[in-house]
Order: sequence, then C-alpha cells, then structure tokens
Amino acid sequence: MDFGLSEEQEMLKTAARDFLTNECPKTHVRAMMEDELGYSPELWKKMAELGWLGLVFPEEYGGAGMSFRDLTILCEEMGRALLPGPFIPTVLLAGMPILMAGSEEQKKEYLPKIANGEAIFTLAVLEEDGDFWADGIKVKAVSRRDEYIINGTKLFVTDARAADYILCAARTKRAANPEEGITLFLVSTDEWGVYAAPLTTMDETRKQYEVSFTNVAVPPQNIVGELHQGWPILKEAALRATAALCAEMVGGGEMVLEMTVNYAKERIAFGVPIGSFQAIKHKCADMYSDLEYARSLMEWAALAIDEEPSRAPVAVSMAKSYCGDAYKRVTGEGTQIHGGIGFTWDHDMHLYFKRARSSDTAFGDSNYHLELIARSLD
Amino acid sequence: MASDESDKLSAFRQEVRAWLKANLPKGWGTPEYVPPEPFSREAHELGKQWTKKLYDAGYTGFGYPKKYGGIERPPEEIAVIRQEMGRIGTPGGPLSLGLLAVAPALLVHGEEWQKERFIPKMLSGEESWLEAFSEPDAGSDLANVQTTAVKDGDEWIVNGQKVWTSMWEFADFGLLAAKTDLTAPRHRNLSYFIFDCSSPGFTRQPLRQMSGEAEFGQLFFDDMRIPQRNIIGEEGKGWYVAMTALQAERSGGGAFYGQGFDIGVGRRGMLGAAPVSDIVELAKNTRRYGKIVWEDPAFRQRIAQIAIEGEAMRCSGARMVARMRKGIPAANDASVVKNFQAEMRQRQGDLIMEIIGAYSQMVKGSKLALDDGDWVYSMLRARGATIEMGTSEINRNIIAERVLGLPR
Repeated sequence: MDFGLSEEQEMLKTAARDFLTNECPKTHVRAMMEDELGYSPELWKKMAELGWLGLVFPEEYGGAGMSFRDLTILCEEMGRALLPGPFIPTVLLAGMPILMAGSEEQKKEYLPKIANGEAIFTLAVLEEDGDFWADGIKVKAVSRRDEYIINGTKLFVTDARAADYILCAARTKRAANPEEGITLFLVSTDEWGVYAAPLTTMDETRKQYEVSFTNVAVPPQNIVGELHQGWPILKEAALRATAALCAEMVGGGEMVLEMTVNYAKERIAFGVPIGSFQAIKHKCADMYSDLEYARSLMEWAALAIDEEPSRAPVAVSMAKSYCGDAYKRVTGEGTQIHGGIGFTWDHDMHLYFKRARSSDTAFGDSNYHLELIARSLD
Repeated sequence: MASDESDKLSAFRQEVRAWLKANLPKGWGTPEYVPPEPFSREAHELGKQWTKKLYDAGYTGFGYPKKYGGIERPPEEIAVIRQEMGRIGTPGGPLSLGLLAVAPALLVHGEEWQKERFIPKMLSGEESWLEAFSEPDAGSDLANVQTTAVKDGDEWIVNGQKVWTSMWEFADFGLLAAKTDLTAPRHRNLSYFIFDCSSPGFTRQPLRQMSGEAEFGQLFFDDMRIPQRNIIGEEGKGWYVAMTALQAERSGGGAFYGQGFDIGVGRRGMLGAAPVSDIVELAKNTRRYGKIVWEDPAFRQRIAQIAIEGEAMRCSGARMVARMRKGIPAANDASVVKNFQAEMRQRQGDLIMEIIGAYSQMVKGSKLALDDGDWVYSMLRARGATIEMGTSEINRNIIAERVLGLPR
C-alpha cells in the first residue's frame, strides 16, 4: 500500500484545485450562503462533465470506475474551497447505497443520472435526538396493499430542497434489535406529502432541512436493498461519507494554515510582523502538526476502504475523531492569530470555523468514535 | 502490523524477526532475562556487542559510504528493521550517539584520515562516543559555549565544563565543542575536536535526574591536551559542525526516537512509549472506587486517543517513506515527529498515573511498586523527552521558521 500519490492522482489534484479556484471563489461561497438551494446548477453540470459525480461508479453505469482514494482527493479540494452543494449526499449517501445494495433496475435508472448531473439526491436518517444510530429511527413506513406509507419527520437533512430524490430510512418492522427492521426508501421530492422546511444553520454553506412525510406512498420497487435490512447499508455508506468528510476537513484545515501563516507574515504589530513572535510561531507549528497527523489518518482511512475493508471501520473512526478535533483546533487558532479581523463576518475565517464544527458533529464526533475505538481494543 | 506492504517486504520483515529471535540475549522479553543495571559498564559493553552483531548482519550502519564502513539498504527495509527492533526492544547503546550525530559531523566536515580512522568503528560499535556540547549556560543556546581550547605548540589545551552528556561514563572518544577565539563574536568563535576519553585532565561525574538515575554526566576539562590534528574542519568554523551534528541528531533522532533502543530497561523504559495493549491490560486489571478502569468511559476515551496517536505516527511515517522514495527531502520532519512523540509520552504518563492512583507514588524498590515501578519511571523520564535533543519550543520555532517560512 502506497501512501504517495500516483502521477494521475497528482494531476487530478492539480486539476481539481485549479477548477475550484476559478469556479468557487469566496464570492461564490457567500452567494450560495444566501441562495435558497445553496448550490449552483451550472457548476454542478461542469462537475458532471469533469466526471466528478460518477467518479467511483462503474463505467457500465456512466461512471469512471476510479478508487475511493481518488474521490477523497477531490473532496480535499472541495473542503479547501468550501464548495457548497450536495456532493457527498448525492454521491456517497445515496449513490453508494444504490450501487452497493440496489437492484439492477435501480442502478441503471439512477446512477447514470447522478453521474451526468441530472439528478440530485440526499439521505434522510436523523430524527429528534440528532444521533446517527438505529435507535433514533422512529419514522414509520407501514405496508398497505403493495405500497409503503411513510409518516413522520426527519431532521438535519442536508440539501433536501435541491434534491430530486430523498433516500429515507424508516422503520418497517419492530424488532428486539433496533438495527433490524429499518428499510431504505427512494422518495421523489415531487411526491405530494414530502415537505422540506429550511433550518437556519451556523454553517450556511451546508443547507439543512426538516423534512416531513405525510402519507407518502412508495412502491416496493423504490426500496433500496432488502426490506427491513437497510441499516447495514447505511453504515457502509456512512463509512465512506465519514472518510470523505475527513478529506474535506484536511483540505480546509490546510487552507486555514496557509491563510494564517500569510497573515502572520504581513501583519505588523509593535513594528514587526506578528509571525516573528514565538507565541504565534508555536501556534502555527501546532496547527501544522495537527494537520500532518489528520492527513495521515485520513489517507489511511481512504486507502483502507479501497484495499483493506476489514480494517476500515477502525481507520475511519480514528480519522474522524482526530480530524474533527484537529480542524476545530486549527480554525480556533486561525481565528485567534488573525486577531480582530478574524472575528468579522466579512473575513473568510468564520466560514472555515463553522464548517469545522458542522463537519465535526456529522457522523459522530470524537466522543462517539473514541468509544468505537475502545471497543476495538478489547 | 502491516499488510500495507509488498510480499517481498513482508518476507524481509520475517527474516529480521527470525534474526532477532536468534540473536537477542537468551530469554529476552521474558523474566528469564536479567538485564544489566542500566547505564552500567556491563550495559555499555552489551550495547557495543549488540551493535557489532547488528553491523555484521547488515542491520545498521546505513547512510554512509562503503569506504567508511557504511551499509546500503532501501529506506523501507531500514524502516522495517527499526520497527521490528522497536517492537521487541533491543539492547541499544553506542549505536545511538555515534551514528546519530558524530558520524554525520565527521562525514561532512572531517579530514579524510579522521573519517577512515573513526567512522567504521562507530558504525560497528567497537568504539563508543559521547558529545561534549551542552554547558550549564549553553543548552538551547549552544553558541554560548564557554569551554576553551587554546593552541600550545602542536596541541590544544582545553579547560571547561560540559553537562547533560549521554554515554558519559564509558565512552571511548568524545566530540567536543570549544571556544578557540576569545575575541570573535558568537557563532564564529567555536571549533570542534575529537578527543580521547582516557586523556589526563579529563574527568567525568554523574548528573542525577528526576527519574532517579544518572543517565547523563558532567564533564570537566582541566588542561586536557588534544593533538593539533584532532580539530574537525577549520578553526572558528565549529558552528557549522554543530549545525550538522544537531540537525543529524534531530532528523535521525526524529525517525529513530522511540524506536525502542533501550539498554535493557524494557520497552516502557527509555525512549519508547508503551504499546496501547499494555495500557488496556493495565486498565482491565485496575479498579478505582470499585469500578474497573477499562469500563469507565472517561478512561476508555483517553486510552482510545492514545491508540489514535500511535496509529497517526505509523501513517505519518508511511507518508514520509513515500516522500523519501520520490526523493523529496525531509529535513524538518523530525521536529514534528519528535515533539509529537515526546508530548504523547507525557500524556500517556499522566494518564497512567491517574489510572493507578495512590500506586503512582510507589517506585522501584517499594514493596507496592507496580511492574517494578516501570510505569512511574516512564512518566518521570518522559519529562525530559520534551527538553532533550531539541526542546519542544525550539522544534516549534524550526517548524514555524523553516517549514512555514515565518520570520525569525
């Protein structure tokens, strides 16, 4: 297993960085913060044309058949640019379940549409307690004749209004083990009875919604995977989404370090650049160290998903725990080093600061993952 | 450990393991093996013998031209050797200092006769070395050295004092930093010398440290004489020699640090951090306020954090190897690694003291000492880790200035 990037991967990284530097400057990010749907369909189309959306899908479904590590290279650059939009929800939270567990008809129907940018997806799983665990899923889907009727409210659903389809995790059977009896339903957002109400978020680059389902009828061919056996599929999808999020966090963190070091070199106080003060130097050195280890764990998590799946869950938990803490620390210190200006709305620092926290809380923070790691040490 | 390596490398790893098994002292790793008293003459001799064995097997001596006794191997094999030795702990010793700092300094700055005379026996462990650099008023600020070397005919006369000298008691030779120009400004007044530790006028004393032993010594020079030709490089240009030696110590030390080059005090002793499985074991077997420590979520989390940090170091090391293979220089990686490892050891030490509670006061010799006082010793010894071989503060300055380009 090689931790270095191949020539192709270096090219992918450079191309992605150049593309996003041009297409996603901070003016775009701030425009999307104000935008109702929070993403640009034109930019989405361009990403489709570059092959980004179908990157990890097999060629037979319109994809490029590339590796998960390759995808995380894109995610690093997206995190660096703070790209707003439903990339991870579409590709990993819905696309991967369809690829891994969907029927042949579903794969043929939906994956090409994701790859060519025609269709946007998201996942509705969290409910009132906001925790990504099976016990939290109480929204019911009741069978009536040959359909399923979903009633209930999902919370913290990203990009629900931009989405054409929502993959909804609902309980179809009561079981002693809460991880049994959950089914994944593909619901069109055009369906009468599906309503997404916007939630005002701290991180305005990631839109979240409360989605209510009122007597939403879903035919059986829209079940992804087996009836009652949706939870393992979600866990597998969450593994990849979590690793992708770690890649975004590392990319964002490295950008924050660059911004901060540049500021420290230029900002004069007491007649000298503040970067010449040891306290500032040491904070920057600590940020550098944090990111070195965050990146190392993230790369391992991605490589493990591709090459050593049995080691992936622990690798991803370690990466998520560390990257979440590191990105929070880095953005905290980055703000501090910028002084007053770092605290302003107009400066970009708070965009990264808030992204760090929305990322940390998604798919389990370090408290959650440390317990999983402890269990693996048993 | 690694299935992220080629079959060929795995086979090599097995080869190294087998060699270690066959060549480590009888009973190594079990209570059957009684190590020599740390820092004793016996331990020193054991270290030399061990280095010779390693050298003859081709498991040390890397990075030097063959004509000076160097051995060549690809970086991933060297990493495997270090990992395997770190895993099992080994009798270290002269291996560490001669290779780490003195040999690079000689290689870059020395005369040909010096390289031919001294490097081969450094690599093979036949001759051991100490570094006479730091003084009471010259630690991080090495330029403030006050020991003098004054020319007298075809000899130099040395007067002064050194402190924090590793390998102080039994080393055969020393690398000395002394002021040769009493009027020149800082950084331009130093020279480096080779000296024989059996010289008259040279005495050595123990320097007892927080963890109880005298790993380091104080050196006294009272009109000690060195032959003229023992100067390394040009008179007054010693600062360059110092930089080479220190950089080598930090780089080599960074990669090398914590790879378990113990001198028989067990893996938890000297340079290494304990494997997380040992800590889990301790937590499973310890009760606090009636509850098993391993079942307390607060402790579980902190132990899991240690597991993450160990894994992070492994992955970071793998990335460094990937960069080395591409020829990307890694001069300042050591500062990051050394700080992280040293600080991790301190966090670990603190955590373990919290786990064992009142037993954290029971040291070796006490009837109630746990594991012969090893854990407590490690915690105390780890307080030196952020100070020796480049303080954490100096390392942060290096990262900030040389890696990030912040102004001096």
